[in-house]
Amino acid sequence: MSFVKRYLIPRLVQYILVTFFGLTAVFLFPRFLPVDPIEQQLSQYQTFGVYVSPEQQEEMMNTLKQLYGLEGTLWEQFMVFWKRLFTGNFGPSLSRFPTPVNQVIRNSLPWTIGLLSTTTILSWIIAVLAGGIVGYYRKRWMEALDILVMIIRPVPYYVMALILLILFAYVFPIFPLSGGVGIARGLTLSWQTILSIIKHAILPALTLLIVGISWQFQSMKLIVQIVRSEDHVWYSRTAGVDDRKLVFNHVIRNAMLPMITQLGLQFGSIFSGTLITEMVFAYPGVGWILYDAVMKADYNLIMGIMCISVIAVTTSIFLLDLIYPFFDPRVRYR
Amino acid sequence: MEKVLEVQNLTKVYSVGSLFSRTKITAVENVSFYIKPSEILTLAGESGCGKTTTAKIILGFEEPTSGEIFFEGELVSKKRLKKREFMRKVQAVFQNPFESFNPLITVDDIFFETVYNYGLTRDRDEAIKIIDDKLRVVGLSFEDINGRYPSELSGGQLQRISIARSLLINPSVLVADEPVSMVDASLRMSIVNLFAELKNKVGLSVIYITHDLATAYYVSDRIAIMFRGNIIEMGPVEEVLTNPRHPYTRLLRESIPEADPQRKWSQEITIADIEYEEYLRQGCKFAGRCPMAKEICTRQVPAEIMVNDVMVKCHMYDDSKNEVWK
Repeated sequence: MSFVKRYLIPRLVQYILVTFFGLTAVFLFPRFLPVDPIEQQLSQYQTFGVYVSPEQQEEMMNTLKQLYGLEGTLWEQFMVFWKRLFTGNFGPSLSRFPTPVNQVIRNSLPWTIGLLSTTTILSWIIAVLAGGIVGYYRKRWMEALDILVMIIRPVPYYVMALILLILFAYVFPIFPLSGGVGIARGLTLSWQTILSIIKHAILPALTLLIVGISWQFQSMKLIVQIVRSEDHVWYSRTAGVDDRKLVFNHVIRNAMLPMITQLGLQFGSIFSGTLITEMVFAYPGVGWILYDAVMKADYNLIMGIMCISVIAVTTSIFLLDLIYPFFDPRVRYR
Repeated sequence: MEKVLEVQNLTKVYSVGSLFSRTKITAVENVSFYIKPSEILTLAGESGCGKTTTAKIILGFEEPTSGEIFFEGELVSKKRLKKREFMRKVQAVFQNPFESFNPLITVDDIFFETVYNYGLTRDRDEAIKIIDDKLRVVGLSFEDINGRYPSELSGGQLQRISIARSLLINPSVLVADEPVSMVDASLRMSIVNLFAELKNKVGLSVIYITHDLATAYYVSDRIAIMFRGNIIEMGPVEEVLTNPRHPYTRLLRESIPEADPQRKWSQEITIADIEYEEYLRQGCKFAGRCPMAKEICTRQVPAEIMVNDVMVKCHMYDDSKNEVWK
């Protein structure tokens, strides 16, 4: 009971408050922008040379306002915004009218989540283990690995993505150039479809893995180098604890704590996609539609993605808070 | 004269600085000492004098640049230093009790780890009995540590637990690196008394590393004063502390504040040069601060001279007939 009272409730309140303010910011910022999306839309029609009578214009304006949720005072709009949020309806996408925003996001979110959750988890595990072992043992050949990472890490991501793309899709055409799945292949559940999805995902995943592993490897290695010379490691050694147990139970486990926090934060950002990866590989993820939405001033779609992203980040931090005491007994449910 | 642990010409050189300007610092220089069974030897000196490095080398946590360690007359090779057989006989207690235990693992775990690793028993109940016995020596019981994390215990408790853990396997030498500097005064005395008791009862030898001359005087048999990696004076504690020969030992003696309102805390103390500079000094490292320094001190490293029972490393005693110094 005291767990609920002293641990869960304060964090739950915090979670709800942060989400509320985050979403309010998402609501407010576009309204402070000097561009009026409705006038923009109308002037667009006018530049096409369409004649619109004043009554029709009035009517169009009202319809658009309704679609954008821009009717009435700011307060009324705010209420509409929350109503839309709770019913999970962000209105139609404007660049893909009349497809609803929900559906646009629903189409691309699985791609992003599939790609990013795999690479995030995989790169984290590899980096923690490799960084831990290299940081602890510091053997000669391991230093070579360290230097390799040091060379790879500063390479700009898009350069590396392009190099890999040219190498493995053009010079040695092993993997497809772009897309999430083969052209003209419907998304039916068959082995061939799954194989095609995996084949398309390998290159983008590889680039994300390389980047993810290299910087996490370096931070893990640095933390381990500090932890390995802490007194409790020496003390455990005098207790006759063997080397392997020392590495995993005492060094890596302690060094992992900041890395767990880091993983939790990364998980939240999965839902907003990775713009550059998706652009270079023309991968149909959330980053790509967000870019598209910004370019086409697709208000509703931007709002939809932003809201999901805010909720994802706060939720993952909340979940992280809940699981953290399992890793660190100093943070207890009291 | 039997020696349980002997250190001969131990030297440790660290290379510090950036890639382009490396300087070598000799943290421990030609240090030799021994400890007899059932004896407490104090290594004393200010912070940064190489006490802890010496301890770490003895325990095998650091590789010495040169020099040998003998255990019961047998050379301890670098490889064997890491092995359990050596650790079985030579155990350690560290300065900071809060850092001696892995914060993520319960305290009892390391006790069982020790019992099982050194093959005391395989049986859990028997292990608990062994652990409980040793904890009672320091005034605690198994119940106090069972399932507890280090963060749930106080510093004083942890330090006593840490000592009990080291004693589990009945070592013959205990290397105690500033074991009382982080605990409060009342507990300090009981820990120091515990060392004396163990020495008398089970013949434990303790290498007691400290900067606190008061407890050193109280508990130890012999004392070695270290300064910038060198042992500059070593001998029976009474003799060294009541009649200090080396100017540095005199300085240390004077720096002990006394509970006497009439006596002001000595004004003669020169603020130390930067540690680094002193380490790089040729000749006697103390020459820069020594009130009696002569020209020879900055040129030549003083030899180890025996004056009665006491070893002194100072040019003052080069030739006892030399009148210049008087």
